[in-house]
Amino acid sequence: MRHIPEDELHAYLDQGLSRSQCVEIESHLAACASCQAARDGIAALRDRTTALLARLAPPRSFPTQFETLRRRADLQVSARRRRVHLLAWAASIVAAVAFGWTASYLTSQGPTRMASGVPAGTPAAVARQAVTKDSRTPTTTPAILRPMAPDSTRARAPRRPVQATVRSASVAEAPASLVPTVSAAPELELTSIDIPASAHEFELDGMWRTMSWAGAQAEAGDKLPHIDGLPVVQVQVQAGEQGRQPLMVVAQQLSSGEVIRTIEGPAQDVSHLLARRTMSDPVPTVSSVDSSRASRASPERVDGSMAMQRGDRMIAITGALPPDSLLAMIRRLNAEMRSK
Amino acid sequence: MTDDLEQLYQTTYTAVVRFLYRKVWDAERAEDLAQEVFVRALAHKPEKPRAWVFAVAANLARDEARAAVRRKRHLTLLKADPVAQPTMAPAADTLVEHDERVASVQEALSTLTPRDREILLLWDAGLSYPEIAAQTGLAVGAVGTTLARARRRLVEAHDRQNPSKGTHAAHS
Repeated sequence: MRHIPEDELHAYLDQGLSRSQCVEIESHLAACASCQAARDGIAALRDRTTALLARLAPPRSFPTQFETLRRRADLQVSARRRRVHLLAWAASIVAAVAFGWTASYLTSQGPTRMASGVPAGTPAAVARQAVTKDSRTPTTTPAILRPMAPDSTRARAPRRPVQATVRSASVAEAPASLVPTVSAAPELELTSIDIPASAHEFELDGMWRTMSWAGAQAEAGDKLPHIDGLPVVQVQVQAGEQGRQPLMVVAQQLSSGEVIRTIEGPAQDVSHLLARRTMSDPVPTVSSVDSSRASRASPERVDGSMAMQRGDRMIAITGALPPDSLLAMIRRLNAEMRSK
Repeated sequence: MTDDLEQLYQTTYTAVVRFLYRKVWDAERAEDLAQEVFVRALAHKPEKPRAWVFAVAANLARDEARAAVRRKRHLTLLKADPVAQPTMAPAADTLVEHDERVASVQEALSTLTPRDREILLLWDAGLSYPEIAAQTGLAVGAVGTTLARARRRLVEAHDRQNPSKGTHAAHS
């Protein structure tokens, strides 16, 4: 007669067997003394294990109210939704503005930049080279942009092909399905997003130095990202890796009292910074000054950012301003950078 | 669905905390992670919430353990040093004894292979054979085999450390 193997007895006692298997084992046990003894031994071993493990219990605690967890979950879900909105929106800005600048920058300086071997035939080739140099997802970029750049708009503007290489994918690693609202037209209209106008404060991780304007100029020369004519409130610099330009954030005040920040640095760092900021406020933590503003925030007043890219570097402007003001600002910056 | 989760929370929260505690060895951290597990469950609305909850808990614990290895704080727990204990008469004695009893099981548990340990802990947390199989990728038929080995090894390792107490404990 076949005796019951040890593991089957474990499974039997653990109720891990099917009904028919149980019946089979029970009928055998009824007639087999040695299997009965084995079963009793395993039952004792099982109890012993349970008793030993029972010692490894944390001190008794009182679980948090389920409602609290529910609220946390709701916040997470809405934060994720906001993030998706913002990413979709940021992608549209990058697509439009970065194009304009990249193209103009490259057409003015194309020949010198193109010393590295790629045939400098068309602006498209130039831009692509500049872009893929640092883009981590060069192959997916066109795929993401294709649905938002219909052929009709492509045909209208002569420089449009360049824009297919804009590295929006690195700023907003959102799947194409998430960015249905993006328009490829240069006269892009910004869509507002439903985030509270509270995220004015940049959360900057890493080591930052706050510098004086003169000190920063001494260090970075005229490369400091700023808009001429506006008083500078603060300059923050994060040293780059060896040999790399630092990441710089220049805060400037408008006559209305609003503060805008211009960020310039390696594209990866800038987009990281932008993404971080949107994630840093799952709960609207509004400071005393901001709370009044937040409470009367109108739908068209959004906290926004826009960015553009030059090779592997990127400039972004953020501020609690209507989108068209920011757009105007970035055009101005665009023009200033071009004139330098 | 959410009400199911609330019920699951009431019935399994303690088991999830215990499961996590046996992996991160920090009661507060275990509670934090357990809450995080249920928050995620609320956000994701899984189809089989009970199995899902333990699967996520195991993942969180794994991430946590990786971080803990980096911080080298893994093995410091509960190594009771009688000399270092404050001389608070009976209370302190009881505490030391308790800590020794805990530490010996903890050490015995650490001698198991990760897979054996995982399956033993999942079983102890109340998961069924099919649930354990689904979570670990083991065949259902192999769960009994693994549990048989894990139990034997745990008790053997424990008795090896405490030769005198081993037979005692068998009665308790």
